[in-house]
Amino acid sequence: MLTALLTLLSHYRRHPSQLAMLLLGLWVAGALWSGVQAINASARDSYARAEALFTTGLDRLERRDGEPLDRADFVTLRRQGLSVSPLLEGTVITARGERLTVIGIDPLTLPGDSAFATAGSPSTSNPGELTAFFTPPWQTRLAPDTAPRLGLERQAAPGAEPSLADGQRLPPLVLAPALPPDTLVVDIAVAARLLERGTALSRLVTAAGALDSAPEGYRLGRAATLVDPGELTASFHLNLTAMALLALIVGLFIVQAALGLALEQRLGLLRTLRALGVPGRTLVTLLALELALLGLIGALAGIASGAWLASALLPDVAATLQSLYGAAVGTQLRLPWHYWLGGLGVTLGGLFVAGSGILWRAARLGVLGLGQAQAWRAGFQRQLRGQAIASTLAALLALAVWAWLATQPAGEGLVAGFVLVGAMMLACALWLSPLLAAGLSGLGRLARSHPLTQWALADLQLQLPRLSLALMALLIALSANLGVGSMVGGFRLTFLDWLDQRLTADLYLRPPAGQFDAVQTWLDARDEVAELLPTADAESTLLAVQAGGERQRLAVPVTLFGITPGARLTPTWPLLETRAGRDAAWTALEAGEAFINEQLALGQDIAPGERLVLRSPGGDQRVTVAAIYPDYGNPRGEVLLATAALRERFSAAPGSLGIVLTDAGPPGERRVESLSRALATRFALGRDALRDQREVKALSTEIFERTFAITRALNALTLAVAALALLASLLAQARERRRRLAPLWALGVTRGRLASIQLAQLGGAALITGLAAVPLGIAITVCLVAVINVAAFGWRLPLHVFPGEIGLTLATALGVALLAAALPALTLWRTPPRTLLAEEEAT
Amino acid sequence: MRRALTWLPVALLATVLATGLAGCEGEAPPASQGFAGLGAEAGGFRQASPGTQLRFPEDHGPHPDYRLEWWYLTANLEDESGEPLGVQWTLFRQAQQPPAERPETSGPWAADQLWMAHMAVSQGETHRVAERFARGGSRESDPVRDQAGVTAAPFRAWLDDWTLTSRVDDSDLDALSQLELAATAEHDGAPFGYRLSLDAEGPLVRHGENGFSQKSADGQGSIYLSQPFYRVSGEVTLDGEPRWVTGRAWLDREWSSQLLGPDQAGWDWFSLHLADGHRLMAFRLRGGGEGGDYLSGSWITPEGETTPLEDDALALTPLATSTVAGRTLPTRWRLRLPDHDLDLTVEAPHADRWMATTVSYWEGEVNVFDHASGAPRGRGYLEMTGY
Repeated sequence: MLTALLTLLSHYRRHPSQLAMLLLGLWVAGALWSGVQAINASARDSYARAEALFTTGLDRLERRDGEPLDRADFVTLRRQGLSVSPLLEGTVITARGERLTVIGIDPLTLPGDSAFATAGSPSTSNPGELTAFFTPPWQTRLAPDTAPRLGLERQAAPGAEPSLADGQRLPPLVLAPALPPDTLVVDIAVAARLLERGTALSRLVTAAGALDSAPEGYRLGRAATLVDPGELTASFHLNLTAMALLALIVGLFIVQAALGLALEQRLGLLRTLRALGVPGRTLVTLLALELALLGLIGALAGIASGAWLASALLPDVAATLQSLYGAAVGTQLRLPWHYWLGGLGVTLGGLFVAGSGILWRAARLGVLGLGQAQAWRAGFQRQLRGQAIASTLAALLALAVWAWLATQPAGEGLVAGFVLVGAMMLACALWLSPLLAAGLSGLGRLARSHPLTQWALADLQLQLPRLSLALMALLIALSANLGVGSMVGGFRLTFLDWLDQRLTADLYLRPPAGQFDAVQTWLDARDEVAELLPTADAESTLLAVQAGGERQRLAVPVTLFGITPGARLTPTWPLLETRAGRDAAWTALEAGEAFINEQLALGQDIAPGERLVLRSPGGDQRVTVAAIYPDYGNPRGEVLLATAALRERFSAAPGSLGIVLTDAGPPGERRVESLSRALATRFALGRDALRDQREVKALSTEIFERTFAITRALNALTLAVAALALLASLLAQARERRRRLAPLWALGVTRGRLASIQLAQLGGAALITGLAAVPLGIAITVCLVAVINVAAFGWRLPLHVFPGEIGLTLATALGVALLAAALPALTLWRTPPRTLLAEEEAT
Repeated sequence: MRRALTWLPVALLATVLATGLAGCEGEAPPASQGFAGLGAEAGGFRQASPGTQLRFPEDHGPHPDYRLEWWYLTANLEDESGEPLGVQWTLFRQAQQPPAERPETSGPWAADQLWMAHMAVSQGETHRVAERFARGGSRESDPVRDQAGVTAAPFRAWLDDWTLTSRVDDSDLDALSQLELAATAEHDGAPFGYRLSLDAEGPLVRHGENGFSQKSADGQGSIYLSQPFYRVSGEVTLDGEPRWVTGRAWLDREWSSQLLGPDQAGWDWFSLHLADGHRLMAFRLRGGGEGGDYLSGSWITPEGETTPLEDDALALTPLATSTVAGRTLPTRWRLRLPDHDLDLTVEAPHADRWMATTVSYWEGEVNVFDHASGAPRGRGYLEMTGY
């Protein structure tokens, strides 16, 4: 039996490239799958640890009389037994003229029991970090990427004491990678000195919900409902997992292509072994053993490099998650034991699925069958029929799933969505070979008067069994690439549009609640202000939805948000659905009707024209839904009202104040500067109270760009590997193909002609594959944005098709095929005709 | 974009706390610096020494040039149904720099001094603990202007709304002879705390050599005073339920710059109210190189006359241990004073009195029995550190 196994394996000594391809496929499948899994596992582990820190926002207190807060407020409230903590925020200018945010904290009173539990002994003789933080020479904590803003290399930053523009020196720097960029965190004593604020405070914070009501003379601002990182990060992980799944499928197709080739070339050998008395069952066992052996090597290599890939991507992924959702992810990769086991299981399982067809064929091997091309061709015809049937079944499954999904409420059917994508891809991949075969025979009939063309088509048809698996892998890789690429690109475009639409004002100001109305009146009177867009927000519960005479009782927590419809806002605010057109919707909003976000509309099945019953402090309020608007990235339901109506009917706290500047006057930056100075003088507002719209936009764009960069990198990697596999599969049979060209050469066809025929054959096949990938890719995009995204996020993305990307996909397919054909063609060009004839004779 | 703007400060704070200030987690003090670093060299601080003249009311206030100081109150109480309760309240002051190294212009947020307050209420198996912190400057505090501090006249010690205040109007009386103690905190949303009136029935007591209490063979020590004669009445709240209580309390005042010898690991400290009106303070400092454990104490008559207990005048022997918070501690002791013909058993009725605070230790009520007959002889408090 060992001899038989060694005989089987000896095949790879003659064809090392096939072995390399097999291992490559397994390696890729394993590496991408397990790499992404590793990132997911590590990130999830980090959330669990960070959850306690992030589920609590901080409530804030403001003075009712509108005066700025002072250290005396802090002491008074502490002496009353309220656990408030002071914060001092401001901007410092570095010696190079750059602005950095300084945040001064008091670690001794900052809410969070866990923090104190880990703060260690505050003993001077045991100089812990806590003591070092709030005693001379103090510390400046900053993210490593902030160091260059201070004119320092990252390595040189720890311990450095850089000067500021005003000559003051910062306390010794300490790197804290998890801090946001351009932010310095110092003890409040240091902040008061650097910012020359004396006893002034920016805010008083307290643990969310720590106070039942505001103390006398103060106003309590509840922590804005923070995004639950679990919900949003999970959606990012879902994207990654989908990518990994696609990568696994591509890898397994490569494996099957290689296995198919390896078996086919060993058909003779297998028959000989059978003839020598090796039972069929033993042969199958041996082949399975071979699969297991290869699988183990490939999977282990894949998992190991997957872990490497994950740790290489992790800092980026961590940064993305952190900035996107505010979740802390350790930059150290932590892998649980089940990660290794799971990776091995998935890769091996996939391998046996891919190899089962091979085993099946080996088991039914006829001992006396002739290993002739024509006989094989007949077998291939059978296989094509089988594929066509399987493909039709897959297509029917896809249709059925799609039909079922159409009847399901939105937000469900995530698994079904993935099944739909999988079935679609399978159907298309299986259809590819019958399609190519049919196309070739059809073209062959057309080309009767061109013998060489006819030969080329017939020859390609003969190659098809071997090529088809590689082409299927290419098809899947191309369409997956196109699908995910379009989804991500579409998301990016939509997001950028949405940012432009939402951030319409030039400046955003967040005055303390007590000063809001005074600031608004003051700004209204200023010449450079063209329009004010005050917002407001409140929390409420959606109690019921009334549609016609029906009334549906609910208890859904919703956010109420107030906007000011005006000349600047209404033309750009996107609306998905309205009751009676855009203009009517805006008029209705001003008249007291409401808009709801897509999440709420999909989640509760609410259409424009229906009435909502919302809880408010002054009793239940009824509003009519005038329109539905998109609200990307928001996991909660939101009801939009005119600010004035919201403040009046729901006693909502004022939020930010959007300021639209007039077009006249000096350039934007100077006007912003002068306005913020005037505001600071008049209302004692810090410079940080005023936000430039461009800054906000730049920050959010930067955050999203990083996510997309990672997705694109993974995507490109998948495609590159599929291309490589096709190349390997073509190269593996190049030598054998050459023999068939010898008779043609002998008949007088030049080598140049022969080489170009080869290029045309493969180029054509690849082009057809690429063309098939385009509709499939678009179909996948539709599934991703309209099914999977809705199921995961609760909102639908608009479908964007990128002709450039489609062109690139086709070019990739063609390029890969031509490259794969060019190398053998080049060899052919250089081969002396005599060698060709010798090879022909040898067969 | 509201969301993007709101997460920033929160993420930032959490990050600072999680990554930055957590740096000394699990960082045990070097073995040669005693419990909580109290045996570390105290260069630059004033040293407690024999012959230090005490002046009142000034010395009821803080001594910022010494490194460490505390106002330490324990009370053995009973509610109306006769059920025993224990109460602790402590305000610690710890200087962060020697006087010469303090920044001249430290500003309103100066942190030369770290204030730490602990409170505990215990009854049966229940032991509720809370801890708070504050920063402070080195001058005497002003109750209106500072989060924590102590003033000598009128006497007032506080951190947030946890206060120990003198009720004395008459300037002839010692400020500590009548006090009001108030503190509350929460455990799982249910408030616990106390508001107690304390009235001394005897004078302030000076331990050791006119207040200088030696703590190791090579001369380290502290200034150590007590007011052990309080009668208490007031209200204790536990799990949100108020109950009227009466009992006895003991206040310790101590300041020093190097409390322990470098090799001393911790202490076992007794403050006992005996039924016959005597008070007994005794401690054992463990380790300390060649001399071995260092024992000392004070025998206090009902009139407040104090006899220092040195060398062979005092013997402390652990009789039984309990496992609390993963540590093995002696919770049953034999305490002998041969010169006073006293042989006592001191036992903690409930072992679970671990103070899981930043600096953690065991602090709980004890019952006193005659060692031979087992007859009840009094009550008190036991503190054990460095286990």
